[in-house]
Amino acid sequence: MGHPNVGKSVFFNRLTGAKVFESNYPGTTVDFTKGWMHLGGEDVELIDVPGAFSLEPKDLAEEVAVKMLEENRDSVVICVLDATKVERGLYLALEIIERGYPVVVALNMWDVAEDKNIRIDVEKLERILGVPVVPTIAISGEGFKELVSKIKEATPVKIEKIIENAGGVESAAVSG
Amino acid sequence: MLKVPLSVDERWNLIDRISKQTVEFGARKHTLKDAIAELTVKPLTGIPVAIAVLYGFWSFFVDFAGTLFTDGFMVRLFDEHWLPWLQSVFPGGLGNPFYALMVDAGHIENGVLVASDNCLESFGVLTSGFFVPFGVVLWAVLAFYLMFALLEDVGYLPRLAVLVDTVLHKIGLHGYAIVPTFLALGCNIPGVTATRPLETRKQRFLMITLLSVFVPCGAQIGIMQDLVPELMGWIFLTLVIGYLGFGFILNKIVPGKSPEIIMDVPPYRMPMMKNIVSKLWIRTSRFLLVAVPFVLLGCLIVGLMYLTGAMDWLATVLGSFLMSWFGVPGETVSPLIAGFLRKDLAVGVLGGLMEQGIMTTFQVFTSVVLLCIYFPCLATFALMLKEENWKEFLGSIASLVAMVLVYGGLIHLVGVMLGVA
Amino acid sequence: MEKKLSEMDFDEEGTVKEIEGTLRKQVAGMGIREGKNIRMATKQPIKGPVVVEVDESLTSLGLGVAEKIVVEVG
Repeated sequence: MGHPNVGKSVFFNRLTGAKVFESNYPGTTVDFTKGWMHLGGEDVELIDVPGAFSLEPKDLAEEVAVKMLEENRDSVVICVLDATKVERGLYLALEIIERGYPVVVALNMWDVAEDKNIRIDVEKLERILGVPVVPTIAISGEGFKELVSKIKEATPVKIEKIIENAGGVESAAVSG
Repeated sequence: MLKVPLSVDERWNLIDRISKQTVEFGARKHTLKDAIAELTVKPLTGIPVAIAVLYGFWSFFVDFAGTLFTDGFMVRLFDEHWLPWLQSVFPGGLGNPFYALMVDAGHIENGVLVASDNCLESFGVLTSGFFVPFGVVLWAVLAFYLMFALLEDVGYLPRLAVLVDTVLHKIGLHGYAIVPTFLALGCNIPGVTATRPLETRKQRFLMITLLSVFVPCGAQIGIMQDLVPELMGWIFLTLVIGYLGFGFILNKIVPGKSPEIIMDVPPYRMPMMKNIVSKLWIRTSRFLLVAVPFVLLGCLIVGLMYLTGAMDWLATVLGSFLMSWFGVPGETVSPLIAGFLRKDLAVGVLGGLMEQGIMTTFQVFTSVVLLCIYFPCLATFALMLKEENWKEFLGSIASLVAMVLVYGGLIHLVGVMLGVA
Repeated sequence: MEKKLSEMDFDEEGTVKEIEGTLRKQVAGMGIREGKNIRMATKQPIKGPVVVEVDESLTSLGLGVAEKIVVEVG
């Protein structure tokens, strides 16, 4: 899962080798695609979920994304984030973690982030979130081996644990 | 104690804490790309750019598909080699019913049945049935999807959507609606599918109805451009006015909400060759799979209706209505029938009629517009059934009939007033 | 000074002060929230949508949506 235009479908193509097409237009892959990938000797089903900014759906494409997440309660979620826009990416990633899914975070477009002088401390982020975090470049395929090898390490994390690791959170002082 | 899921504020607060510890933003560089990204959504610079882009799109479409492939190569191949060859080797010959269905029905000139000299007039399954999809339409569709995939992958479409949102919001749609509209110009089927990201059922209903009525598909455009290039400007103008005009009215009548746009405008990106090629392949092959059987079937049905006299009967029965309401001759019945199956085929049939010189320019114009709007092709129709619920579907059909009668009549009226009908 | 996002001038910058009710959740995932620096990237004529920049991301909002966001400027 991930925002529209972060290269989810390129990801999907790389992991499965199936024929799907990626498009830059938000929502073009509303028809979701399924494929199979090799993982430790067995074939695992992989679903390309339509782009969503949040699990509070604001259009049909996001609704589909949320539904698909709910229908696949036992799956591991690969959350593809735009490394140049980590903050709003984390918003979606946290929403998924809060719902109790095991997550692997891919920081895609790592090269663009480097060009833009954005430095992300991957290890620290991994420690705080408690889930695997892997920098990737979907177009060149960098980071994919590591990503695949870490899928099995993903476990559900309690949000309280993340809050503790991050050093607390201001409780709902402002109305939410 | 915290409640899970967190509130919006708590979540952002947490993200702030995480990002402070892990992310370091270096000196921010404003690049040329950023500048272009903004210039193309600003009205003052963006609108001229949009016009240039669309003009480039159109020129490529006409030059590549029309001039280079169809006129330069395919027309010659089909009219000068394929048709004469079939006419000479196919058993039966002129007047034989099977020969008429498969190769050439011929037409009456001064009381004598003469052979056709081009693949539009001949109207056989093996001649027109192949010429329309492979000689004309394939190239048009290929050119269209190539350009579309480029615009899509570069990230231009959301900018176009922002620019046209002002106008489209007035007819109850998003700027986003430009994407299904644009896509439908290639083929109405992916166009209808692309309406899913629209937010409300009302918007989807409006979009699907307007698409199926006022947006001609690439196949149809390709063959129109081949037959009546000089009328294209007027045809498009008429369709755009219809789209906006009836959109405005539908928006007033149809209940439901038309929320405003909230849309991410992604940065420009270098398109990937592999993606473009695979998209092109998927879309074009899907098109061929849907189109070719329908075109061949359409040829067969229209041919049979001519042979059995059903077409003449219909032309007489509906002729006076067509003539008095729309101002087009009864013979237009045959392309209209073909149009139930495929629009490109229908325009092809119309082309055959034009070659016989029985229509005035204005009648040709009216017929072409009528062909665009009177019924979506069978495949689109089936998809509408799937995408809409019964109430919406009946609504679409009712609006469709109303729009065709009103708009077709209006065009005739304007023609009469201008003295061209 | 506080004003509505829809009233901001072209290229004007400010800080998001308040986002109305249901809209908050809708734009939250796109990175628009209270306390963020926001810049008016473009405004379309005749009541068209605005395009704003937050954290280097461009987002297009209908004018009616922009009216529901209050910004502190100057």
